[in-house]
Amino acid sequence: MSTTRTTQRSTWRVVDIVIASVIAVASGVVFWAWSASYGLFSLAFTAFPPGTALLTGLWLFPAVLGALIIRKPGAALFCEVLAAVVEALLGTHWGMPVLISGLVQGLGAELVFALFRYRRWNLPVALLAGLGSGLFAGLSEAYVVGSVAEYTESMKLFHVGATAVSGLVVAGLLSWWITRALARTGALSNLASRRAHLEPALAVRK
Amino acid sequence: MSAAANGRTAPLTRQGVEISARGFTWQHAERDRPAIAGLDVQIPAGQKVLLLGPSGAGKSTFLHALAGVLEVDQDAGPTGELLVGGQDAFACSFPVGLMQQDPETQVVQSRVGDDVAFGAENLGVDPQEIRERIPQALDAVGLGALGYEHRTQELSGGQKQRLALAGILAMRPGLMLLDEPTANIDPGSIPPLRDAVIGAVESTGATLIVVEHRLEAWARQVDRVLVLAPGGGIAHDLQPEALAGDAAVRAELAQAGVWIPGYVPQTSPAPRAGGAPMLHAEELVCARGEHAVRTAPASFEVTGGRALVIRGENGAGKSTLALTLGGLLEPVSGQFAASPQLADGLPPSPFSWKAGALVARIGSVFQEPEHQFVTQSVREELAFAPLRARHGAAEEQKYDPRQVEVRVQELLERLGLQDLAEANPFTLSGGEKRRLSVATVLAASPDVVILDEPTFGQDANTWRELAQLLIEELAESTAIIAVTHDEHFAAALGADELVLAPAEVAATRTSSGPMLDAPVGDSWLAKINPLAKFGAIAGATMPLISTVDWVSAAVVIAATLLMLPLAGLGIGGFFRRGWPLLAAGVLAAWGIALVGQDSGRVLLDLGIFDITEGSVAGGVATGLRALAMAVPMVLLLSTTNPSDLGGALSQQLKVPHRFVLGALAGMRLLGLMVEEFTTLTLARRARGIGNLGTVRQRVGAKLGQLLALLVQAIRRAGRLATTMEAKGFGTGQRTWIRTATFTRRDGAVLAAGVLLGAAAIAAAIWAGTYNLIW
Repeated sequence: MSTTRTTQRSTWRVVDIVIASVIAVASGVVFWAWSASYGLFSLAFTAFPPGTALLTGLWLFPAVLGALIIRKPGAALFCEVLAAVVEALLGTHWGMPVLISGLVQGLGAELVFALFRYRRWNLPVALLAGLGSGLFAGLSEAYVVGSVAEYTESMKLFHVGATAVSGLVVAGLLSWWITRALARTGALSNLASRRAHLEPALAVRK
Repeated sequence: MSAAANGRTAPLTRQGVEISARGFTWQHAERDRPAIAGLDVQIPAGQKVLLLGPSGAGKSTFLHALAGVLEVDQDAGPTGELLVGGQDAFACSFPVGLMQQDPETQVVQSRVGDDVAFGAENLGVDPQEIRERIPQALDAVGLGALGYEHRTQELSGGQKQRLALAGILAMRPGLMLLDEPTANIDPGSIPPLRDAVIGAVESTGATLIVVEHRLEAWARQVDRVLVLAPGGGIAHDLQPEALAGDAAVRAELAQAGVWIPGYVPQTSPAPRAGGAPMLHAEELVCARGEHAVRTAPASFEVTGGRALVIRGENGAGKSTLALTLGGLLEPVSGQFAASPQLADGLPPSPFSWKAGALVARIGSVFQEPEHQFVTQSVREELAFAPLRARHGAAEEQKYDPRQVEVRVQELLERLGLQDLAEANPFTLSGGEKRRLSVATVLAASPDVVILDEPTFGQDANTWRELAQLLIEELAESTAIIAVTHDEHFAAALGADELVLAPAEVAATRTSSGPMLDAPVGDSWLAKINPLAKFGAIAGATMPLISTVDWVSAAVVIAATLLMLPLAGLGIGGFFRRGWPLLAAGVLAAWGIALVGQDSGRVLLDLGIFDITEGSVAGGVATGLRALAMAVPMVLLLSTTNPSDLGGALSQQLKVPHRFVLGALAGMRLLGLMVEEFTTLTLARRARGIGNLGTVRQRVGAKLGQLLALLVQAIRRAGRLATTMEAKGFGTGQRTWIRTATFTRRDGAVLAAGVLLGAAAIAAAIWAGTYNLIW
């Protein structure tokens, strides 16, 4: 029997690539669609713009979601960068820096999954990945790319903290919940995460 | 290359391949029994075969196995033997064409010419040869009039299927596999597609296997009919004539839900008596949005106990009318009013009703059942609308929870879904989903039920159950409105007919949402290599990261504005594209002014925060810097097609083409997803989810909508990946018909960008404003 189509656990199949890409694009659509109702939100934050950091997690969730669904090395990075490309193409967000942000944010999540050798996809790992992504985003904005470089030192710390918490809750928890809900619908049947809804939230996968 | 050996001028000639299965069995992962078991069949080269069988008999699995797109892993695999042209099918030695039913996922690329070439490129065919095949293939499917640059997103469903066929023909396959190719296209588009298929296989000699539910179109055109048995193997091996003559075979196929020619399922007669008036429309004009195409005015009356069928050409706006009648869209002009009996104490405009009041009065069933699912089980799904239904002017609860339980139980029994009560709605079969989506609406017993193409793609059994269900509703004095092409369905319901005249403006399929592949025009910059432009922008903006000052930012912004004519943009067009960036820049500036590092005179004291000269200067610099880093991208975006950027990335930077083209294929679905998201919003209201409610309910509703979008998107992506694999994607070395080049002019653009970045920094240092942020 020929086994030419048998694939390694870590290599990307065409279906992995296309689904990862669609997750990124769907995230872009949601950002675009919600930005209308989000107008009210940002108006509320106009009084205190640093508060928008609390919403950053929304922009980080493609990274964690993509990795939890695809379960391949590089998925977090790929999805987050592609989501950033889509945002840039739609012209809803900052040109070149959005690509750098995508890279940095994706890397933050990717490193966490790599730390667990791409073998654990449970709730704590998802939360950590969200946290990692948020931490990277916050640190980069405060100290590297410097979009908030002019903040006072304490405000920079607030910014990093708020972004990290947002990443933990929105990107981490939300992505984990959505992955399980998706698995329940049978939509993930040809992916490594097809049994995500049956896996315990905390235990280690064998 | 064997393809090239066919000669330049030869028409599409190639011998078909034979197929041989011996004891072939396929086991999917996580299934109890194999999808195909012990299949023995021989199909000679060039034969045209119609493949039938009840759902679950493994028809699609068999086609996917022949196309070599089934994945073998530790849980899934074949036993026995399946040969295509004498070679193992899983080795993919021959190009095989596969067409599936969803037109959206049969097209891979965003431009017509590229899409036709896609499969041949993957097979490594010489680009010169491919360029000659493209017009031949497009002519063969009757799309010769389309330009190569035509956007594939603008094609109708039937055209997309024919384009996919052209792409298959350009691969010169010896075997063509069609999996319900006409299930999702309107009846008028079926004959041209069918004729294109038959013409192509006859001129190339390719072997053809078609799976279809509706046999009318194919029965006369094929050589042989194979009927798969549910347990495995072949139940019947027939001459096509038997479909018309053999009563036993006809009865058996009808039992399995197959649409045999000349068969209409039996239903009880529809009641003829009309009841109370429900809806009244006078010169009603509808549209999806402010700038969308408007429907022709329509005047009509909807009465209880009667069915009304809405007909009209594609693009006439039948679905838009249905959404308006359902109280989901606001009428553009004319009169549209609910009768006092239907309104039940509320004002006459259904659009003004709250979602809970709406579901108790008018129910809307969407074309795609999954758009309407909002819960995690069939039982909850049925209970959802009645629990939210409100009646009377005071909007009291229509049913108490006890009554709801009784209604749900009744409906489960009526639909034969008792055993599936706890199943996730998304996991049901196509027919079960359709019945469930209708039942979820009937559950709140509205007086008017509106259905959009309810019988589209359904087998004869689901069709009969659906018609029977609606006839029973008519007997209960419910008014039924259906958008449908299906004459038998209209006849079964004894329906009146409303023909919607074509919309005034020719309905060009313009998408109202964002586009990723908007036309780029033919400006000077449009001809520059995308990577050169990208590099130039990086060179100009990346140095700005090192500093927060207004001088370097101003230099870059000024230079960008000066270059607008090169991109064919006026200042107006620039602001239309760039205004969100401006808004973001202002917000960033305000943030810094508020909490930035303070120095100098205090301008405003806000308690814990001060606005000072220093923080305002910091804010202005931050805002300008953000703008300067963002706006040059407008030059790239307005002059670059993402496909060209992808091609350059892959060919010149050697980014693996699987990732680049895989990403582009996914991105092509953007417009579709935006449409879907809008539809999902309407579908939520149709299920009784309003804009109001507790924070928890609203967050829940948003998450549910996100989930539904992702389910659709992931399913689509799976089918798209199958299409791409069937077109030989990702296996070997590919060729490109569009070769990316890097000329001296491209080099000059790149250098200009880098120089600009250096000049901006130099200006800031010279002006003394440069400050390193690290």
